[in-house]
Amino acid sequence: MRKILRIVIRRTVNALITIFGILCLNYVLIRLMPGNAEANIAPHNPQYAGYAAENIRIFGLDKPPWEQFLIYLQKTFTFDWGISYYWKVPVADLILHDLGWTLLLVGTSTILTILIGMVVGSLAAVKRGKPFDFVSTGASIFLYGMPIFWLGIVLQLAFQKNSLLTNYFSWWPVLPIEGYMDGPNSGLPQVWSWDWPHISSVMAHLFLPALTLALGTLAGVSLVMRSSLIDVMTEDFVLTAKAKGLSDRQVLRRHIFPNGLPPMVSLIALDIAFIVGGAYQVEWVFNYKGIGWRTIAAIDHLDFPVLQFIIVIGGVAIVIANLLSDFLLLWLDPRIQIT
Amino acid sequence: MGAVEVVTKKPAVSPLRATLRVGWKRIKDVWTQIYHSKNAMAGLAILVFFAVLALGAPFIAPYGPTQKITDTACSITSPPISALQPPCPAHLLGTSYFPYDIYSQVIWGTQVSFIVGIMSAVVASVVGTAVGLISGYVGGWIDEVLMRFNDVVLSIPWLVLMIIVAAKVGVVDLTSLILVIGLTGWSVTARVIRSQVLSIKERMFVERAKMVGTPNWRILMRHIFPNAFPLIFANTILTVAVSILSESVLAFLGLRPPDTVSWGRIIAEAIDNGAVTIGNPLWLIIPGLCIVFLVFGFYLFGYALDEILNPRLRRR
Repeated sequence: MRKILRIVIRRTVNALITIFGILCLNYVLIRLMPGNAEANIAPHNPQYAGYAAENIRIFGLDKPPWEQFLIYLQKTFTFDWGISYYWKVPVADLILHDLGWTLLLVGTSTILTILIGMVVGSLAAVKRGKPFDFVSTGASIFLYGMPIFWLGIVLQLAFQKNSLLTNYFSWWPVLPIEGYMDGPNSGLPQVWSWDWPHISSVMAHLFLPALTLALGTLAGVSLVMRSSLIDVMTEDFVLTAKAKGLSDRQVLRRHIFPNGLPPMVSLIALDIAFIVGGAYQVEWVFNYKGIGWRTIAAIDHLDFPVLQFIIVIGGVAIVIANLLSDFLLLWLDPRIQIT
Repeated sequence: MGAVEVVTKKPAVSPLRATLRVGWKRIKDVWTQIYHSKNAMAGLAILVFFAVLALGAPFIAPYGPTQKITDTACSITSPPISALQPPCPAHLLGTSYFPYDIYSQVIWGTQVSFIVGIMSAVVASVVGTAVGLISGYVGGWIDEVLMRFNDVVLSIPWLVLMIIVAAKVGVVDLTSLILVIGLTGWSVTARVIRSQVLSIKERMFVERAKMVGTPNWRILMRHIFPNAFPLIFANTILTVAVSILSESVLAFLGLRPPDTVSWGRIIAEAIDNGAVTIGNPLWLIIPGLCIVFLVFGFYLFGYALDEILNPRLRRR
């Protein structure tokens, strides 16, 4: 118990150090951008005059760099994130609003990825060397090599109105390919409420982006699942279990899965960074206005006040996901000794 | 293991030769295994196909990558115009807005994918290997610092990091594009190499070398590096695949050198010009399929090679 406590403390401290590192790197990156920091975070374009003065005040851009750094750290923790030039609203409001939609998208597709990936991966491991293994592994690698933005575009072409497929098959479904819910033209009230029209509209709009993201990141789980289980299958205790007459199913459930699953947890957590990277492309292609869409739009408009905190949010989310997976692993697999 | 001991007895061997010597004994063995692995051969076949396209582009492509088309052989409008023609035998994939021949552009794009993919993977592997070797072998606070920095780089979503660096450096030519992709892509390599070094470090021949007083850098370069090299090589091939994907994403998002024609750029232009509505969906689909197959080839070959070179994964 003592030991576990020490590991937990160590991991937490490491995570905090990493978060601090992200904050530092972010500070340096944004301030090293072409042009000086003041011009980036408070451009002197007349149309931004009011906002520029506000951001100079918030981030103390007229003070020496080390003092600026301290102010930046303080403002980060108080959610006083300055004002976006392009959207002309406080950055914190903007990001927290987008975060909900991105979490919905990333969450749904991560669950899909994990479920499908684990089933496909373990079937492939069990049927190693058989046609299913060959086909599923090949298909996984094939999907892995697909640029996610291109996969999204192809799915859009397939499911949009008047696609080639709808002309040939009358039953072919047409799915929404843009935004996270129906726009004002559809007659749907744009103010959110928890009723069926809103929820069904959101679910319909979620389908293709989540599917794209899940397909694009599936291989990360299924391939690792396969090799992790195969690793366990070659252990001596599996041979012993078979030798003492257990059925294949029993060997699988009692000996292979309990030993093969824990390593998956940390690998899936590593995959989350990859899934988030994919979410940026999916959101851009599907015009799904979450964090990823906002990032790319902010880069187009060089809206640095928004960019600097998007990096922080993304990084912190991934660090926390990794930390939670470490704890889960610790709980699942008491043998583990993280050095 | 025998090969390594031979090297220890001859001190005046450069790290490169030590690597080659350890490697040469295994190359035939590895080649036999590649030859018998369906996946590796399939991957290799795809790679050879695209390599022929890339090297033979000047002979295969009917037009230059940015050579203006003047004929109107495929035009369906009246009066016929040379821009945005749909596919027909004269222009297999139609023409673009400028107008260029898209079929030729796709073939020339193979070169860009190969150059950017391989060069960025080399940059990423060199940095990642250096960090991994030092971190794993030296250990202590240097390891701590390097790994915490690695955590930071791994935690910032790679696409954002790349976009920011691309916007900062300004993607003006292929070199800066290669540096952007390479310098943001080394952290996974560093981790893989570090853990490999940690396990090699414990082996008997390293202990022996230490005991006879071999300096650390020599152990690192002559014993650890040659033994980690197969893994580094397999890992580099996988990194090539990732780099090709990164290049296409950056090009699609508009972060591309102005005068190079790459597959990602062709797709972005197809979308800007409404390729599907003007009756030319192939403009969008063919370059995408090229990316998919080239990356697929690198992955197939890379994974198969990894399985062959990394004995832990071999069927026991």
